[in-house]
Amino acid sequence: MRSTKKALLVSVAVLMILSLVLAGCSGKNNNGGKEGAAGGSTSSASGGDTSPSESAPAADIYEIGKEPLEFSFYGHYDWYSMPQWGEDVASKWIKENMKVNIKAIQSANNAKQKLNTMMASKDLPDVIWADRHSADIKLLIESDMLVPFDDYIDKYPNLKKWLSTEAINMLRSDDGKLYQFPNWYTNQPNGNAGYVINKKIYKELGSPKLETTDDLYEYLKAVKAKYKDVVPFEPELVIDGQGLDVLYTAFEENALNRWVGNRSIPKDGKMTSVFADPTFRESMQYAAKLFREKLMTQDALTQTRDQVKEKVLNGKVAVYASSSPTDFAAEGDGILSKTDPEAGYFVTWPIAKPGLDKNKIFPGTYSKLGWNVSVITKAAKNPEAIFAFLDWYTGPEGQRILMWGPEGGYWNGLEEDGITPIFTEKYTSDKEGLAKLQADSNNIFWNGNTVFLDTTKAKFESTLPIEQQNWNTHYQYEVTWKTQADATEYSVNMLPSKDSDAGIATQAVEDIFDEYRAKALYAKNDEEVLKILDEANEKAFAVGYQKQLDYQTEAWQANVKKMNGN
Amino acid sequence: MRRLGFGDRTMIITIYILLILLAFSTFYPFWNALVISFNEGKDTALGGVTFWPRAWTWENYSTVFKNDKLVGAFTVTILRTVVGTITSILATSILAYGMTKRELIGRKFYMVVCIITMYFGGGLIPTYLLIRGIGLDNSFWVYIIPSLISVWNMIIFRTFFNGLPDGLQESAKIDGCGNWGTYFRIVLPLSGPVIATLALFTAVYHWNEWFLPSIYITNEKLIPIQTLLQQVLNTNVITANTSALDTASQAILGRMQSITSKSLSMAIMMVATLPIICVYPFLQRYFVKGVLVGSLKE
Amino acid sequence: MAQLTLNKDVVRKKKTKNTLVRFLKQWDIQLMVIPALLVIFVFSYIPMYGVLTAFKNYNIIKGFMDSPWVGFKYFEQFFHSPDFSRVMRNTVIVSLLKFCIGFPAPILLALMLNEVKNMFFKRLVQTVSYLPYFLSWVIVAGFFGSMLATDNGSINIALEKANLIEDPINFLSIPEYFWTILITANVWKDIGFASIVYLAAIAGVDPHMYEAAEMDGASKFKQMFLITLPSIMPVVIIFMILAMGNLLNAGFEDILLLGANPLLREVTDVLDTYVYRTGIQNGRYAYATAIGLFKAVISVGMLIMANYLGRRSGNSLW
Repeated sequence: MRSTKKALLVSVAVLMILSLVLAGCSGKNNNGGKEGAAGGSTSSASGGDTSPSESAPAADIYEIGKEPLEFSFYGHYDWYSMPQWGEDVASKWIKENMKVNIKAIQSANNAKQKLNTMMASKDLPDVIWADRHSADIKLLIESDMLVPFDDYIDKYPNLKKWLSTEAINMLRSDDGKLYQFPNWYTNQPNGNAGYVINKKIYKELGSPKLETTDDLYEYLKAVKAKYKDVVPFEPELVIDGQGLDVLYTAFEENALNRWVGNRSIPKDGKMTSVFADPTFRESMQYAAKLFREKLMTQDALTQTRDQVKEKVLNGKVAVYASSSPTDFAAEGDGILSKTDPEAGYFVTWPIAKPGLDKNKIFPGTYSKLGWNVSVITKAAKNPEAIFAFLDWYTGPEGQRILMWGPEGGYWNGLEEDGITPIFTEKYTSDKEGLAKLQADSNNIFWNGNTVFLDTTKAKFESTLPIEQQNWNTHYQYEVTWKTQADATEYSVNMLPSKDSDAGIATQAVEDIFDEYRAKALYAKNDEEVLKILDEANEKAFAVGYQKQLDYQTEAWQANVKKMNGN
Repeated sequence: MRRLGFGDRTMIITIYILLILLAFSTFYPFWNALVISFNEGKDTALGGVTFWPRAWTWENYSTVFKNDKLVGAFTVTILRTVVGTITSILATSILAYGMTKRELIGRKFYMVVCIITMYFGGGLIPTYLLIRGIGLDNSFWVYIIPSLISVWNMIIFRTFFNGLPDGLQESAKIDGCGNWGTYFRIVLPLSGPVIATLALFTAVYHWNEWFLPSIYITNEKLIPIQTLLQQVLNTNVITANTSALDTASQAILGRMQSITSKSLSMAIMMVATLPIICVYPFLQRYFVKGVLVGSLKE
Repeated sequence: MAQLTLNKDVVRKKKTKNTLVRFLKQWDIQLMVIPALLVIFVFSYIPMYGVLTAFKNYNIIKGFMDSPWVGFKYFEQFFHSPDFSRVMRNTVIVSLLKFCIGFPAPILLALMLNEVKNMFFKRLVQTVSYLPYFLSWVIVAGFFGSMLATDNGSINIALEKANLIEDPINFLSIPEYFWTILITANVWKDIGFASIVYLAAIAGVDPHMYEAAEMDGASKFKQMFLITLPSIMPVVIIFMILAMGNLLNAGFEDILLLGANPLLREVTDVLDTYVYRTGIQNGRYAYATAIGLFKAVISVGMLIMANYLGRRSGNSLW
């Protein structure tokens, strides 16, 4: 009996302590969040007071490399995993010589939830690398958790030099401040969208004229008749548009597939329904015809990129169109031409509907703002130092190291302009080593400077004999870069925030678009294509398509205004 | 042994045929994955790799094992699996045994308390805030403590314990064993098959689970193998998004590397699953042997 | 009369007191249960305030406390969304199919395995049939995708060879085939591993019973149904009750990966994939929580029902 009592006492005591601890925890937990947030902002302010470089007048410039700088970095993508800083040649050099150390915070294939938990606990990384103007970035700005760059941008040389003023304006957020540091920004065309042709099949079929959509249709039929195991037209994963979007541009001069991507077509200063767009309807009829007559991959909606690659590498594709067909085609060209010099792929000038000017056909687009952005959060102790680093990183000095390694390897010394590296003989002789270096730094290119790198490369490659030039580079200069259009004004801020009415409508329209484009592809005849698209149009407006169109009209007009400097 | 009747024989033959079919349809895709993991990725992309690697290579595996954090991550995973499985099975079965006692006051209530958790949860963020609040983030114990009790396993345990003959426990009581004594001396030893089964379930969970660490752990020394492999895979996959890189070099690189994301992911999958596949034949012994029956006889 | 009420009162008091005394007396059993329940309380019940997110216009940074209440807004949004009826229909059909086929399949396998007397063969089949459980759905979906493909897919090749079809069929783009493929893939993946529990139960069956049956001249088939199956019934029923509670879990990863083709949306949209598409992917946290809560409430209702039925056969969860 006594022992029972004792045990009971003990267990009651344990229970009480436990509940106390728990209550204490949850209490702390609740306040902890707020205190943490408040503490975070004060500590960064006080941090500024104590740190000598920051307490100095604003005109003082933070010098990279003078003192050690460490910050944390989070790439907000499922697929992204930052390599350990200092492991590859480029970051090792930067770590040793510039005293910069970057700590990785990994998304571990679960970016959305990782960022959510960090935001909920107010435990943010110093730098977040994410899609431009994305909902998450908007939320962070609304909650005053990002550091604006307006005070810094004029103090540091590179970003303002390489990024055009209109692009800076486009990057600004709704409150007029600049929070985003862009990546792969440019002011000249780039991109690889277009048509790749199987060289061998083309020759065996007598190298017919391949300029109009009619030519293409006849050619595909000829392919199907002669080669049983070859896919006449490979559009890649059409769920993402790809080959279908490329075909779209064939049916109207100056039509941009970015419009199809936005699900809205500009007409007379307004965004209008994509389902009602005559060009879209005509292109879908054409695509459905190809599909129906088995001139297009029958797996177009279900295949994987690996399967596409397999076909291309085996030369089992006659015509291949997508937003970037050159990736696989270059590889396939290398493999196929090894065994048979006649085999391989070439990029052809974009196809046009008969009667259209082929010089006004643009199968792809680019945006001057490039791809994505880095933002600095208020968790950073010294945001200006981080900005100074990013500015250095995107400048010729940083980009040189990332792309061609430290001085003394692939380059030695600079040209008169003070930025262009003088390439050594090793640059041409050790291609594999260079490729390895670039592959390693690929994942730490957070603010690529397209113009600097492309111009430097182009200047040098043009001094090489043709056989040393590369398949990809060759066709970029010959075809693809000439046929990509600037879609900057249609690329920024076109998606409403997801919880808004327009956002919910956009999502519903997106579902309808996916489903009905697939249905249209399976249509039995031309009339049915139109019927399906009419049905889609009706359904879309029933779920609030107009709200999306209104939003996008406004966003587009705002973009145009911003680009003009207002 | 008695000769089987005609009906019995047809049934046995049908069963064998069905099982052979099942085994083949199950085995082939798996074998094919193993083959692909030993085949050059480039070569696999050409198609037609089926029963045997065409261009044998270790490259996929060496890429996986090149990562020097791998050994540490393996240790974390093994520790987590062993400690997590033992503690969880012990704690859960004790709970289950308590719940079999008809005289337990509040039994129904306790059961409802348990079952509710199978259907309602607070979601990731409140859980995360709690874990941080009690300081379990960045601690090894975050793998062990929150998943200590599995209600699902508890229910299975309870069902099995209920099926144990009452006589045994009665005799234990007469021998002077308390409830804890009965549990450890009688019930636990009799429950070989259940424990083996549920231990395997639990171990598989611990081995494969990679989501918790991605959220709770930032200390690289505490990251388990699955999470690390995910990272290896991610860094090696050149995505369409990053193709803005020097395209010329990318093409060269493509020609140089024979690894593709497919061959690499197959290798990673094998690295991650083979250890568990190697372990379970040893546990399997318990499933087919009538441990309970054996001990009753003695 | 007054006497009687007084008596009742005394009885009640005595009863309360008795309960406490009994509780203290059985401290050893309670000690088996209470610590475990504490763990459950801490890690499952404390965070449970999160379900209230469903009634809030939740802003992650503002946090739970500072987000405004919106009542049943998100539930209404869901019930009025044009997808509601389709989502519910698919959820019920797919989960019923999974229940009716996926639930008995491992029992059948366990029964069949039990008849195999060749230990090597039995071990081999077991070992092999457990393998798919260790594969992720990404891989499984990859296997099925390549088997069913039109170009070089094994199924199409076999059908063409047998002259059953002229042109390859694009199985994964035809809505009518999807559920069959989905269920097959599920059975393929889980049948072996799920049979473990039943095999363990079968192992517990007293062999004397078979001996007696054999004496009586019962066929193997009869033994299977008259001895083995009834012996493992308690396990089967408990699992059935649990499975009923999971009826709204029509699947997630499997559908997402096998049914990527938007042409199939008519048959692939189920609660979980819908939550994922509209909720998680688009950061509509509260909306996703609301649908999750809706699902949980229905699930618990079904569980209670199943348990009621189970109790009539003498097996119940509580």
